[in-house]
Amino acid sequence: MIADPSRPFLHIEGAVYTYPGRAPIVNGIDWRLQAGGFHCLVGRSGCGKTTLLKLAAGLLTPQSGRVVLQDGTPAAPGPQLGYVFQAPTLLEWQRVIDNVLLPVSLQRRPLPEDLERAHGLLAMLGLADHAQHYPRQLSGGQQSRVALARALILEPALLLLDEPFAALDAITRGELQDDLLRMCRLRNTTVLFVTHDISEAVYLGDRVAVMHQGRMLADLPVDLPAPRTQAMRHGAAFNAACAEVFEFMNGARP
Amino acid sequence: MKPTAIKAASQAANNAAAKAATKAADPAIPQAIPHATIKPRLLALALLVLLLAAWEITVRQVGISALVLPAPSAVAKTLWTSLATGYLWPHIGATLAEMLLGLAIGGAAGLGIGVALAESALLDRVLKPYVIVSQVVPKLALAPLFVLWFGFGMAPTVVMTALICFFPLMENTLTALRQVDPNRLQLFRMLGASRTQTLLRLKLPAGLPGILAGLRVALVLALVGAVVGEFIGASRGLGAVIIAAQGMMDTPLMFAALTAIAVIGLLGYQATLLLERRLLRPYADQS
Repeated sequence: MIADPSRPFLHIEGAVYTYPGRAPIVNGIDWRLQAGGFHCLVGRSGCGKTTLLKLAAGLLTPQSGRVVLQDGTPAAPGPQLGYVFQAPTLLEWQRVIDNVLLPVSLQRRPLPEDLERAHGLLAMLGLADHAQHYPRQLSGGQQSRVALARALILEPALLLLDEPFAALDAITRGELQDDLLRMCRLRNTTVLFVTHDISEAVYLGDRVAVMHQGRMLADLPVDLPAPRTQAMRHGAAFNAACAEVFEFMNGARP
Repeated sequence: MKPTAIKAASQAANNAAAKAATKAADPAIPQAIPHATIKPRLLALALLVLLLAAWEITVRQVGISALVLPAPSAVAKTLWTSLATGYLWPHIGATLAEMLLGLAIGGAAGLGIGVALAESALLDRVLKPYVIVSQVVPKLALAPLFVLWFGFGMAPTVVMTALICFFPLMENTLTALRQVDPNRLQLFRMLGASRTQTLLRLKLPAGLPGILAGLRVALVLALVGAVVGEFIGASRGLGAVIIAAQGMMDTPLMFAALTAIAVIGLLGYQATLLLERRLLRPYADQS
């Protein structure tokens, strides 16, 4: 892989995507994701966030424009990407450990080191005792953690998340946000995190992009020290950052 | 006329089959706790005893001829003798063999065709009308034709039973495979899974509750198919025993055969329930 350091890790260039018989849902978006960065994408429901995420994953191909990786190849789905859905989407007939190993077992027979890595991930997420349980025996937060471990098992360079914590209570969501930050920092993973929650975006992101009706309104840097702590949520700097994002989202009101 | 007890039992089985078929569509419903099922089971047993007692008393008081309606005690005696002398066993074996063979052949074909139609839109469009036509033609009416083609004995009955079992499994498999959560399909696409992997590791396991519900319905129908097939084209089997008993005016023997059929049906149904409980344990909440 020939990586040009001057180029962004993932470059979305003038991407347009239209579902048949409708107005374009993604309408000419340019966006550069820097390697190792935590990029959040906020916007109202139905503004095209998920479609943009699927374009970035290569699950959809833009009708015009392009989505390219650092080495110049177009984005394509595959094990080099981690993808976390809105719902945990675990396979309930398989044990937690087998769910985590799914990306591996679809490629090849899992090796002892794969198993070790899976157990390590589960331990980091506080699920060490649940490896042999079935997903339905876990709480919603635990299921989301398993989904996160599954996305990280192949140590992808790019992690894409589509409102993964939207269905969780505030405390569990906070814990999972901290877990996610920790895991991604450890591996220097590039992250694209889609959410409609401004404070979640500001808390997690190095940058927060605001999307409205298929267009990107802003890509704002978040000026908060790393690592983030839950106590920061009540500070003035945090609230100022939230207000700035809110202004952009609100300014777009028709 | 059928005795009330057997009628009630077969009706209960039918109701349960229908209920279970709808229930299996939602695997979130937890299985009943054994502790809570003991009392209703005792009640069901008490009802059976009550019905049998009422039947016995009515027959004795009114003095109905054993030719028309034998008392349960007479049926039990005939059943016992026919079992003890070994007369009934080969017939039970024949009916069981036809039922299981038909279920295996028809079920496997139903599963296979269901998977094929679910996987290929082209096959679905080309074959579906034929499949439906083959199902709306009453198969029991084809029994004389099958005797003509396959001769007298087990073969025509097995063919008919297989045809009857085919449809519920095909239909349930088709529906179950089509209803797989699109997010999970996307996950498999995302992970670069091949079509075979998606079928074997996602669609079939995800559709298992629906497929097993189809199997349960097919099993009940298989018994009906086997017995009716024997009415027409066999000299062995419980259906043939009923026809022979009719010829000999041996009504208690007819009832004995009916009892054996009811017991086979109940045991078969319980076996599928047990299989489901074992296989679907991970699908239930907090098991």
